Amino acid sequence: MRVYNKYILSLALAACLINTLLALSGQDDLAIYVAINIIAYLIITLLYAYLNPRARRALNTIAAVSFAGFIVMVVLKVMEIWSGK
Amino acid sequence: MLGSGLCLAGAIFAPLSYFIIDSVPLTAVGISAIIIGFTCIALANTRPYISAEACEVMLKTGMENTAALLEELGLRNKAVYLPSTMRDGHPQALIPLVDKGDIQRISQKIPGRLIVRYGVNIDDMAIAVTTPGSINIDMLETKPGPTSTEIETAATYILTGLLDLANSVTVNLSDSQVNAEVSGPRLHYEDIWYYRCLGSPIASILAAISCEALGKPVRIQEEDYSKGKSRIILEVLS
Repeated sequence: MRVYNKYILSLALAACLINTLLALSGQDDLAIYVAINIIAYLIITLLYAYLNPRARRALNTIAAVSFAGFIVMVVLKVMEIWSGK
Repeated sequence: MLGSGLCLAGAIFAPLSYFIIDSVPLTAVGISAIIIGFTCIALANTRPYISAEACEVMLKTGMENTAALLEELGLRNKAVYLPSTMRDGHPQALIPLVDKGDIQRISQKIPGRLIVRYGVNIDDMAIAVTTPGSINIDMLETKPGPTSTEIETAATYILTGLLDLANSVTVNLSDSQVNAEVSGPRLHYEDIWYYRCLGSPIASILAAISCEALGKPVRIQEEDYSKGKSRIILEVLS
């Protein structure tokens, strides 16, 4: 199996596993699902560090956007806790 | 196609699950599909500008020209891979015109010509050729150090990540040998003149990386393929 197929398969399996486990544990907060999916995406992308430079640049862009989304969610959660809602 | 499909399916499924079905896990599945879809699109856009067929034609052309030169000169000796410090900026392979078995005494910089003298004797002559490994060294971001881990990382980066020629590479280093095991190689060793002299393209790449990392000349001692793995033994000359 080629390295790109392995990478996509790893992402798909991780997403399936995370969503299934969170659903089975009764989690009902969408922010938790998205945050954990983004963390898994960032970890798996980091593990495939030896992809070619053009692929890395493209994946780094997606990772940066995902990370920005993750930070926004964290900030919103912190603000929610601070405001005591 | 797969990427666009996943993005579209996710973009339809996520709001549908959140607002109509009212299911958070299914919404998360839709969002995951969008992330994976964008990743597929990004990877598809990084495919090389030149087709695989065009690359194969160019590789074969270069190999056949070098093979014709070797056959015409009747050279059967195994090539010695020299680090860039011993050549003009990039590593090259040296094929001795006479097999004396004592090519180990190369110590000085070899001039950047096709026919070169590597020793003090009259028959210490060789031809210097560029191999697939010589070109690939320039693709490394940093020069690997003289440890098995660094050689393995550089070989994995080039063979698996950059060229997609193998599934994985394992390198073990001893005093005068580099033992490499390449899993799932896409270019096998063939018993042809070119490969007997310069090794297969995979062995050539490993030899070029090893000589550059160790800063010493390297020769492909043995190369065999069995059970989906290529075993390559490189002799480190000093």
